[in-house]
Amino acid sequence: MIKTDVLVIGSGPAGSSAAKHAALGGADVILIDKKSEIGTPKRCAEGVSKAGLADLKIEPDERWVTKELDGVRLVSPNGTNVWLTSNEIELPEAGYILERKVFDKYMAMDAARAGAEIKIKTLAHAMRKEGNAYIVTCEHMGELFEIEAKIVIGADGPESRVGRWAGLKTATKSTNMESGIQFEMVGLEMEKSDVIEFYFGTVAPGGYAWIFPKGKDIANVGLAIITKKTGKTPYEHLKEFVANCPATQNAQAVEINIGGDPVGGMPKKIYGNNVLVCGDAAGQVNPLTGGGIISGMKGGMYAGKVAANAINKNDYSEKALKEYDELIRDDIGPELDKYLKVKEYLSTLSGSELNSIADAFQDIDFEKVSTTELIKSLVKVSPKALLKLGKLI
Amino acid sequence: MIVKDWCMFCGECAGVCPRNLIEVKEYSLVFNDEECKDCSTCVKVCPVTALEKD
Repeated sequence: MIKTDVLVIGSGPAGSSAAKHAALGGADVILIDKKSEIGTPKRCAEGVSKAGLADLKIEPDERWVTKELDGVRLVSPNGTNVWLTSNEIELPEAGYILERKVFDKYMAMDAARAGAEIKIKTLAHAMRKEGNAYIVTCEHMGELFEIEAKIVIGADGPESRVGRWAGLKTATKSTNMESGIQFEMVGLEMEKSDVIEFYFGTVAPGGYAWIFPKGKDIANVGLAIITKKTGKTPYEHLKEFVANCPATQNAQAVEINIGGDPVGGMPKKIYGNNVLVCGDAAGQVNPLTGGGIISGMKGGMYAGKVAANAINKNDYSEKALKEYDELIRDDIGPELDKYLKVKEYLSTLSGSELNSIADAFQDIDFEKVSTTELIKSLVKVSPKALLKLGKLI
Repeated sequence: MIVKDWCMFCGECAGVCPRNLIEVKEYSLVFNDEECKDCSTCVKVCPVTALEKD
């Protein structure tokens, strides 16, 4: 039987980050991924913040950055625009659109360079506890074999089977699972080619539609919905959106992506004896935007570091691994909570309320904007919306 | 469970399965039909309607 200190299951950005930091901390690490090509297919709109990459000490590389962003455009149900670009506002969330297929591989390569052993096309099939270790049954090209690991890090995405095998309640309720679908398209006619666009309202019930530019006339055009809030499938919504959106009238799809996005926040418990979960598997996703590359990689980083420490101290107990929970919740917890509140607030607004808010905000001089100013404008346009906001703050 | 041939193996079904009964391989889905209680949560969330109860 293969034996290792740390087994990371799933080589997305979170898993590779975990494997890298565990290896840098001195642990023997195996990183497995069920796919034949790490990063493919993508299940993501590929947006990432510059500040987030800097926090992770990852230098942008021209091979996986497709576009540097200058701002955000918000479009209300009746088509009213709110532009937040560097002309209007100093953006806290400047970022890039990645080429995930390349990025994910690069992150796995970083893990390999740090000393992790990668096994591709290797599926985690089952997991059982034996003594002070987990035995994971793996499958590679029809062959079953076992890996004994002192610590298992589950980075197995929205499926999150590993956490549940270990008795953690990491299942995602269907009301918290956004169903996403996206075309990568060519022939886009965007008003500004370096701005990410968000469309709200009935185009995507319970979520939003997006256009994320990838350079030239290429963009990810997609949407995410909560299935229970609509009678249509995500694919029907996407086809409708593309048929009606001015930017996509002459655009054609060269790729279709689908996937679930767990937007309910982190489960109460993401660690246990000999086990940690990170990334989408641990709900480390911004509940409002659905973005989870940076937050998942931070989860991976802390999981890897704490796992390496535990190996060095020969203590893989729940008590020793609790530090992971503290580190990740200190770092991203407050932000996730804040966005969850905003999301809940937005979901209470009707289409006409969204329209009136957008209408008021489109004329605001954002350089002078403060919270007080925003609330004053909101009072003018929609006292009802403000009342709802008041209940949340 | 009948898995239609346009399934893209995204695994959303596996994530919402309350009993953790769905294995998502790279190009196939394996259902543990014996333990399944027919709640249909997986069928309802599929973004491309690729699942059907048999």
